[in-house]
Amino acid sequence: MVGEVIVITSGKGGVGKTTTTANLGAGLAHQGRKVCLVDADIGLRNLDVVLGLENRIVYDLVDVVEGFCRLRQALIRDKRMDSLYLLPAAQTKDKNAVSPEQMRSLTREVAEEFDYVLVDSPAGIEQGFRNAVAGADRAIVVATPEVASVRDADRIVGLLEAAEVPPPQLVLNRLRPAMVKRGDMMSIQDVIEILSIQLLGVVPEDEQIVVTTNRGEPAVLVQSSRAGEAYRDITRRLIGENVPFPSFEEDTGFLSRVRRLMGFGQSS
Amino acid sequence: MAARSRGSKERPGPRRRVPEPATVERADTRPAVVVRRTLRSGQEVRFDGSVIVLGDVNPGAEVVASGDILVLGALRGVAHAGATGNPQAIVAAFRLAPTQLRIGNVVSRPPDDSSPPPDSPEVARVRDGVVVIDPFLPAAGS
Repeated sequence: MVGEVIVITSGKGGVGKTTTTANLGAGLAHQGRKVCLVDADIGLRNLDVVLGLENRIVYDLVDVVEGFCRLRQALIRDKRMDSLYLLPAAQTKDKNAVSPEQMRSLTREVAEEFDYVLVDSPAGIEQGFRNAVAGADRAIVVATPEVASVRDADRIVGLLEAAEVPPPQLVLNRLRPAMVKRGDMMSIQDVIEILSIQLLGVVPEDEQIVVTTNRGEPAVLVQSSRAGEAYRDITRRLIGENVPFPSFEEDTGFLSRVRRLMGFGQSS
Repeated sequence: MAARSRGSKERPGPRRRVPEPATVERADTRPAVVVRRTLRSGQEVRFDGSVIVLGDVNPGAEVVASGDILVLGALRGVAHAGATGNPQAIVAAFRLAPTQLRIGNVVSRPPDDSSPPPDSPEVARVRDGVVVIDPFLPAAGS
């Protein structure tokens, strides 16, 4: 069995790469898949914190690459799910500690034992990005509905093409349907029009994600979380299920509902 | 007194003979380094000897010493004392709230249910193969 290596990237920082990686990983593991999350953000690691596994780290990715320990020694099993593992980044080194070639052979080695290897890319387009992308069979681009984020995502899509990674899929994060409706935020269609890549999922803005992230427990496991629900849908799409997209129009008023019934709504 | 001796006139201050280390009972004569700042995430101090930090060690920072580690501040990051395999080494801090503690070859981490941080100095050492934490009692001499 050789699993699939998927890189989660965005260009811009703070749009939700790490949150997405953690949630998709937990979601896939919840679906019974064997998943390894690889934190490629050497020097600014976060994935361990988001998963609440920081205090279990003894060896890290750089230790493995340098032959200081074996892969198995550096892998940390999640405290909730037996089929979810983390390969943490080093915190006291920098991105140049690893080369793209080393990352390629590392992810290949990891993929031999897992169904999915999710690589959390650092922000930026430099060495750290090139490392994260090096071994990827597939890419997920995370963007928020903001001009700067979409611009950076577009740059990333171009770089992924150049790196000969198959066409990436989009996770649109932190969408606020009410703002879109008022015309104060880019809509899903606006973003897709620019990026022209396949939409994997839309995650609505959700205050609860701050709580779950700080607590170190992925929202995807919290039934009541709206963002968690979106990540559950994305997870199922990732493994090939056909999950319809929700309309994100639940909080629209009576009048707009009437308008839609009459065929006037949905003007974009 | 040391500050005054820095005055314009070069007048030698009263010279006290520093006792030879060997004459002090129970003294640790191995080298030690003093770090006069807070170690932040991603910063690391490694030293063949003991490390004394006059500041905090934040989460994501790491102190590795072949001897003891003393933090005159809050230890919230990772500390590895006796890193060359000395199980007799200790880790002491004003606020001992580490992400992870290692002494010799023993690795320990705090329980997942977060207990409130201590508000008095504590010392960690290995006893019967596990890391135990006691209040720091100067009389006990650690």
